[in-house]
Amino acid sequence: MIFSKTLLDRCISCGYCLPACPTYAMTGDEASSPRGRISLMRALETGHLEDDDPTLAEQASFCLGCRACEPVCPAGVEYGNLLEEWRDHQWSGRRSPLPARLLMALVSRSWLVRAQGLVRRHARTVTSASGPSLMLGCVERGLFPRVSHAARKLAPGLSVPKRQGCCGALHAHNGDSGTGERMAKSLGDALPGTIVTTSGGCAAHLAAHVGRPRVRELSEYLVEHDHLPSGRLLVDGRVARVALQDSCHLRNGLGISRQPRELIRAVAEYVELPSAGACCGAAGTYSILRPRESGEILSVKIDEIEAAEVDFVVAVNPGCLRQLKTGLRKRGSRVRAVHLAELLVIVPR
Amino acid sequence: MALDRDFAGALADVVGAGHVHQAPGDLAVYARDATPLFHQVPDAVVFPATTEQVARVLRLATAHRVPVVPRGAGSNLCAATVPVRGGIVLALTRMTQILEISTDELLARVQPGVTTARLADAATARNLLYAPDPGSRTTATVGGNIATCAGGLRGLKYGVTRNYVLGLEAVLPTGEVVRTGGRLWKDVAGYDLTRLLTGSEGTLAVITEATVALLPAPAESNTGVAYFESLTEASRAVGAIISAGIVPATLEFLDRKCVAVVEEYAGLGLRLDAGALLLFGEDGPLATVAANMLRMRQICAETGALEVTVAEDIVRSEALLAARRCSLPALSRLGSLTVLEDVTVPRPRMPEMVGRIDEIADRFDLQIATFGHAGDGNLHPTCVLDPDDEDAVGRVHKAFAEVFRAAIRLDGTITGEHGVGSAKLPFLADRLGATQLGLLRRIKTAFDPAGILNPGKLGS
Repeated sequence: MIFSKTLLDRCISCGYCLPACPTYAMTGDEASSPRGRISLMRALETGHLEDDDPTLAEQASFCLGCRACEPVCPAGVEYGNLLEEWRDHQWSGRRSPLPARLLMALVSRSWLVRAQGLVRRHARTVTSASGPSLMLGCVERGLFPRVSHAARKLAPGLSVPKRQGCCGALHAHNGDSGTGERMAKSLGDALPGTIVTTSGGCAAHLAAHVGRPRVRELSEYLVEHDHLPSGRLLVDGRVARVALQDSCHLRNGLGISRQPRELIRAVAEYVELPSAGACCGAAGTYSILRPRESGEILSVKIDEIEAAEVDFVVAVNPGCLRQLKTGLRKRGSRVRAVHLAELLVIVPR
Repeated sequence: MALDRDFAGALADVVGAGHVHQAPGDLAVYARDATPLFHQVPDAVVFPATTEQVARVLRLATAHRVPVVPRGAGSNLCAATVPVRGGIVLALTRMTQILEISTDELLARVQPGVTTARLADAATARNLLYAPDPGSRTTATVGGNIATCAGGLRGLKYGVTRNYVLGLEAVLPTGEVVRTGGRLWKDVAGYDLTRLLTGSEGTLAVITEATVALLPAPAESNTGVAYFESLTEASRAVGAIISAGIVPATLEFLDRKCVAVVEEYAGLGLRLDAGALLLFGEDGPLATVAANMLRMRQICAETGALEVTVAEDIVRSEALLAARRCSLPALSRLGSLTVLEDVTVPRPRMPEMVGRIDEIADRFDLQIATFGHAGDGNLHPTCVLDPDDEDAVGRVHKAFAEVFRAAIRLDGTITGEHGVGSAKLPFLADRLGATQLGLLRRIKTAFDPAGILNPGKLGS
């Protein structure tokens, strides 16, 4: 048994997921649609396709894992979980892509993750016995250390425990959900009470393993605790125009899309991008493993951002932020990509 | 069975090697559509980009006597796109251009792979309406809708797909390209091949372009919800509404089980304790909508509705319709095998048909939920069960055979909008009789003498 039986059975092949799928939009090929991939999983489960079948290998890596198919599925198919089980099997051991393996090896050593703080100064650690605690994230504290500073300023009540590693989302999405689950649980033990995270991907993964009630993504936390900023963000003497790129896992996994918009509206003129809810192509390790497809998806997104004539585009996940920054820089755009927390702290109060 | 190498090479010469798929995994995903219990792996999947390529593929297939099954998004519910005799699945998902929208001629010209929702949105953007509104509109293609003559939520007032097809470009199995009909609303030269091809389920020709009629967009629309003790009472309200001289844009019902699953998916705040829900809606000029909505509200109350509410805004109204469109897949939340059927009876006989379905479900010890288009008598009895329960699967086939016979006895038909495909073919003779079936077969031979187009379906 590769898949939990009830998960595969849920899909009735109605095809309502096809228009939501970014890879199906690229190819028009059933094999690269969620329904097609579930057919492939079924063929694998029943032994109609061999483990080393090239289509299985190709489609397991072509899928972005954005889970856009989940909210549009009337039957309630948990595609994200199916994909994790599929990749566990498909990428078991050495068959997992090398760059992903290297990254996973890095972030699973918590001393290494913590050592990043010596080079990039993230929020100062403050301990409290019961939380709520701010999770620093493994990638974010290295790439975007200013995000945790900003989060602390926006929600001063958060403690920032020193001993915290990675949540394991990277493992879960790259063929090692066992380790991913263990890491999530041990992070849950390290951070008492409510865990507040500035990363949509981590939020969804943590919620799946330590329980939804213990996890709050920053925008959700700020709105719940009425930490709405009151100032106006000005650019050249006028109110700033700001767009949002949803985090797929936050939107499709946890159903959070209203809160970040509400926060932006509180300080600026909010501009909805036509495909704000569609993946930007970062998708965890996707931009490293499939640069061509990732770039194709990103290019459309950057076109939209340019056409929207905004001053800022906001991300709520470090992977998306890095992707957008790269795309905008390559294009020589004047639009700035920032994390939501960074945007909110530059507002004069 | 793999294709002959020369033949596969010739196909690759036509569409490009990257557009002929023959790997086992690539074929496995084209073994089925949205119809449960039907499954057959093709020998190749071919993705043409132009009419010319379609013509050359068909010429080759006829020369090699290889079956060809045209396919859009594969969302149909009668196994019309399952390659039951193997061969080539001809996927038209690369032909996705809206070629033209003419506001002064009120028409659109599209390639077959355009989704119905995309066409509808493009029309709306020009203040026009593409009226056919099948539940699967976001996924389904216009070509597929025409091939199966799809229906949907606006059937009573606006009719089904065939009422909107003005002209087709189609490729015959011999590779000849025909253009039937055209851009004209009035054109009676010759047999109506446009209508013949509409609903022919890919057995006569491959549709490569369609000219469809559009209407001016209605100025206003609204939807309301009425709850009843049972489907029988809801049907009584339907009868009263139509007798009052109203032809509403929407008149849909769901039974208790359907309401529960739709609510679980869409979270609209529907009442779960009623036996049946009636969705009623109207579109048109503001005053007409207001008057007809008020009148329908009153009629529902007079015929014993437990509660009647009207959507407060367009967003809410659209949400109600969207939720209704997904009642089939939502039903699969009750059990992992969902067999949905599609019968139509004359409207006044609907309560009788609903009663017959309930009685058959009880007799075969099956869970059958029913929803449908109350306005046009089109019902979707849907059985949910455990696929591993072989005995139950066997009972489903017997139960639905009785449902079809019951529909025919009530002057109804075995399919109102899904089509015949493979699933309903065994029952077609009951509906048409031997003489008509023979005529169908002779028409099939006239179009497709080699019998390569979608064999095992209509005309077989």
